Amino acid sequence: MVRWQRGLWLFFLPSFGLLAVVLLWPLGYAIYLSFFDYYLGSDVRSFVGLGNYADLLTEGRLWNSMWTTILIAFGSVALEFIVGFALALALYRLHQSAKVFSVLLFLPHIVTPVVAALFLKWMLASNWGFIDATLLTFDIVPPDWLGDPIWAKISVILADAWVFTPLVMMVLYAALQGLDTSVVEAAQIDGANNWRVLRHIIVPALIPAIIFTISVRLMDVFRFFDIIYVLTGGGPGTATETITIYTYQLGFRMLEVGKASALGVITLIVVASLLLTINRVLNSIYRGGDQ
Amino acid sequence: MSVASIQRKRRRETYLVFIALCAFTFVNLMPLIWAVLTSLKDPKDAFTIPPTIIFEPTLKYHWEVWFENDFVRYLKNSLIISAGTVCISIPAGSLAAYALSRIPRRNAGPILSALFTIRMFPHMLLAIPFFVMGTFLDLIDSYLLLILALVAINQPFTIWLMHGFFLEIPRDLDEAAAIDGCSSWQAFRIVILPLARPGMTVAALFSLLLSYNEFLFALVLTGTNTKTLPVAIASFGGEDITAWSLSAAGAIGIMLPIVLVMLALQRHLVRGLTAGAVKG
Repeated sequence: MVRWQRGLWLFFLPSFGLLAVVLLWPLGYAIYLSFFDYYLGSDVRSFVGLGNYADLLTEGRLWNSMWTTILIAFGSVALEFIVGFALALALYRLHQSAKVFSVLLFLPHIVTPVVAALFLKWMLASNWGFIDATLLTFDIVPPDWLGDPIWAKISVILADAWVFTPLVMMVLYAALQGLDTSVVEAAQIDGANNWRVLRHIIVPALIPAIIFTISVRLMDVFRFFDIIYVLTGGGPGTATETITIYTYQLGFRMLEVGKASALGVITLIVVASLLLTINRVLNSIYRGGDQ
Repeated sequence: MSVASIQRKRRRETYLVFIALCAFTFVNLMPLIWAVLTSLKDPKDAFTIPPTIIFEPTLKYHWEVWFENDFVRYLKNSLIISAGTVCISIPAGSLAAYALSRIPRRNAGPILSALFTIRMFPHMLLAIPFFVMGTFLDLIDSYLLLILALVAINQPFTIWLMHGFFLEIPRDLDEAAAIDGCSSWQAFRIVILPLARPGMTVAALFSLLLSYNEFLFALVLTGTNTKTLPVAIASFGGEDITAWSLSAAGAIGIMLPIVLVMLALQRHLVRGLTAGAVKG
């Protein structure tokens, strides 16, 4: 018993060795770079301490991208949660045909994100896109979905929701299937309407799944890149420029890798503290509702 | 309320739910349907108001995008990179996951949380050092660097997923093997591995999907020789409106193998999605 467990630590070696070399080392290197004024392509890099951080935090573009990120993050996560939950409840209601629907509804999530973004671009493109072509048929002049600063934000939120609502739906649907049906039926026979069953039986039972989906979605939305990159590229102007897009511009277009690393570190700190807060808030609501 | 009347009401509601779901699914899949139609259209049918629904379909653009526009080569790159990632990620991840499932819970817990934290890292923060180091080592536009980057972001997920599968294999089996004189490596290879094969297939398919779909690392670490399909289609079809049918054909082609993988994974989908969810 003890003897065969002794060699077990060797099993960790390949994986943790890999993680150390290809994940922790680059991460450390990025943090190190964030203290330098370093333009990739020139030979000199000068130590600036927290200079990059100070520069970033005092410029308007960072705050603009931060607000855009937060707006898109909360907008899309809220939309995904509401629609995803409704779909999960609908699937739960159907039983037999639920399987076909769940596969069809899941498609947008599994398609390559870049391809999904192109699909949506062909819907939203002005004039010849499906939506515009349809509206123009009825002489309705459509807004510029991707070219107007406000509509572009809405389009990006809808695009994110198109791709990620299926994920929320699937996780919540799985959680619903683990529910004890006799409790629900008993409540219905006692005369509880749908709303009260939902509010007092289903939601409390799903709290762990709800916390999980919201946390995972929020943490992913901060690295949301492919879809915006293809759909608007951050434009018009900087209307849909999120932190991730801004970091990409800094690091890979302007080659300011020191400053870009600092922005990456800031993103990590924001995501980490946001998740901690959300977990704490949701957990306390959960405990509060229990009493 | 009587049980019979509740049942009648429920049946009526279920019927309404069914209709609403049909409508939603149709609208939701419209972008996909539209792309399929576009890929089969000649430009004269693609640019019309109102949108053309009935037309003479052509496979011309599907042929053209794959065989006259180098997409076959990008497919080869995508396959090499995905296969390379799976070949490193799954063996390494499975070993670690097995060990995690066999050490005491109080030791495994912190390791699992640490892995979950790693999942939170912004990919952009890793892409920068990879790009800088790749430039110095002259590894940009090589398969190796991109494969390593994908393994790095894949590893926590693979370990979490496989950990769940190994937990389902009873410990008694290892112990019996140990009593029979097996070392832990022999116990793993002879007794556990054959039982874990279905789980490994699921994990491999998920990793395959992740590396096939990945865009950011592929965008910054590849060049003309190693470009993957997502990078190719993003730079190909986005802007040029005259190439609509062509890029739609490419996009649909990229999507098809994924649909097949998804159908194969159907039963395990939720499990893969919630790998990392704290149990209980």
